[in-house]
Amino acid sequence: MATIRTRSRRREMLLRLSAYLVILVALVLTLFPVYWIAANSFKFDIDIFAVPPEWLPRNPTLKHYEEAFIERPFLRYALNSLLVAAGTTIVSVAFGTMAGYALARFSYPWQWRKQVSFWILSTRMMPPIVSIIPLYLFFNYFEMLNTKSALIIAYTAFNLPFATWMMKSYFQDLPVELEEAAMVDGDTRWGAFLHVALPLARPGLAATAIFCLIISWNEFLLSLIITLTEQSQTLPIGIAGRVTQYKTHWGEISAAGFMACVPIVIFAFIVQKHLVRGLSLGAVKG
Amino acid sequence: MASVRFDNVTKKFGEFVAVHDFNLEIRDKEFLVLLGPSGCGKTTTMRMVAGLEEATSGDIYIDADRINDVLPKYRDVAMVFQSYALYPHLSVEDNIGYPLKIRKVPPEEYKRRITEVARRVELDTMLKRLPKELSGGQRQRVALARAIVRTPRVFLMDEPLSNLDAKLRTQMRAELKHLQHELQVTTIYVTHDQIEAMTLAHRVAVMNKGVIEQLGTPREIYNDPRTLFVAGFIGSPAMNLIPGEVKDGVFVSAGLRVGGAGHVSIPRAVLGVRPEDVHAASAEDPDVNLVAPIYSVELTGENTLVSLQLGGRLMTLRADKNFAGQIDQRVGVKVETDRMFLFDAETERRVDFQTNR
Repeated sequence: MATIRTRSRRREMLLRLSAYLVILVALVLTLFPVYWIAANSFKFDIDIFAVPPEWLPRNPTLKHYEEAFIERPFLRYALNSLLVAAGTTIVSVAFGTMAGYALARFSYPWQWRKQVSFWILSTRMMPPIVSIIPLYLFFNYFEMLNTKSALIIAYTAFNLPFATWMMKSYFQDLPVELEEAAMVDGDTRWGAFLHVALPLARPGLAATAIFCLIISWNEFLLSLIITLTEQSQTLPIGIAGRVTQYKTHWGEISAAGFMACVPIVIFAFIVQKHLVRGLSLGAVKG
Repeated sequence: MASVRFDNVTKKFGEFVAVHDFNLEIRDKEFLVLLGPSGCGKTTTMRMVAGLEEATSGDIYIDADRINDVLPKYRDVAMVFQSYALYPHLSVEDNIGYPLKIRKVPPEEYKRRITEVARRVELDTMLKRLPKELSGGQRQRVALARAIVRTPRVFLMDEPLSNLDAKLRTQMRAELKHLQHELQVTTIYVTHDQIEAMTLAHRVAVMNKGVIEQLGTPREIYNDPRTLFVAGFIGSPAMNLIPGEVKDGVFVSAGLRVGGAGHVSIPRAVLGVRPEDVHAASAEDPDVNLVAPIYSVELTGENTLVSLQLGGRLMTLRADKNFAGQIDQRVGVKVETDRMFLFDAETERRVDFQTNR
């Protein structure tokens, strides 16, 4: 009896150990590049290429930060990125939430719910680059090239289908009686949406917002083609611009790249607590 | 206060007819129970009053107002959901106060009414809690409080007690009945539990497959079932339904012959008799209607339920709590012939049985 118990306990220990190992590998894989960028951003150019690699900057310097954010317009790029990402996120989440709610709750004749939902998703089935020429011509016609609004419109077009689908599935998970109760209690459909469904869909809103923010913050291709001026270009374009004909400015790239991670991390920290599911527990007894 | 009227209301979901040509008038201050098995259309009927479902055809009135096209918020009804549907992100106080907040009730009155209602349902010490911190019974009270915090024209209750344990259910049942009597608000109550229907209702509408099988007081429904369905649905344990044949006014079935005085002949008939109208007697008694072996004996406390093997089926009778019969023992059975019901198995309607009555 005793041996069986010790054996199974040992097996449990082993299982747990291997789980930790897998987590460790995953962490190293994802965090090492971030660490390497951070480390390089504080090194002199010569130390970046040191062999063997210099794991910690021996002579830390803020030179690259000065180059990027004072001598070169990376502050401007960051601001552009912030405005574009925030604009895209707000518009996508607002419209995606309403569209998702409509698809989750309203009744449609025939199979329209299914058809419309699929059609919305199908717009994401082609790679965004396919639409770049029509988009370029469109923005050119409306004299919107080199504007942040053009980027917001383009990004929203690509984020909205996902936002709609994510919010749709969140609303479908909410018990419909809660909104029905609100309506019988004297609220309108809109009021029930605003006072009951929306607060309960907070985890969904948070997840959708993070998703939209990351996508638009990191977007490169559309921005590269639609914007050419300092006034409109975003961080990824600015960073890529430091690969020049004669030199790749690794230090500046690292400094700007590292700084580019910061807002997303902060935002993720803020909304993290809303990501917790199970808020609707206790609403209805199962 | 208000009356509710259904005029030829039909509700279809696609091809499925949930409620068929429904006619019913619920009187002012009446407690009406819609009773039926799941899928009989009782909840759909209630949801049409709330405005959560639209009638496919027909008219629904509250007093003289046709409400078919009126938004739920303007109907002035209050509903208690089976799942309670408490707002999980709001405290007990905010849950109860929700209907008042929507109506922009001034703060002093808001406070006063919540305190009053909370005291009435004994929640006054838990106003700051969230629904998830409450027990099932307490949640049920919050749902009830939310309904009575304003005085609606009609109360709608969709199986409000079905999620409670047996003891609590009995207690809440009594409280509900008292509350309705006190508030004098027209109430429509949906349930599949016939005990709830019998104990609560002024009138019961027994529903099956989207139509009313019978409408009447609990006593009428119990003592005078009009259809086979009502006879079988009402009563616990259920009425004994024995298939057989009526020849010249005499019901004949395996091992059983019960005579009447008429001259009806029904090739396929069903005889119904309630367990309490069947009495055990000695197998030697010359007056017994039949003799059968005991299949099981169940003591409920106040009675003993005895099942007898009768042909291929069981017949239940309610005997005294001191009944001493054993399984497989043969006992005689006396049927109170004037308390029997006869149904035509084809039409499932009751046939007048010419007994001693």
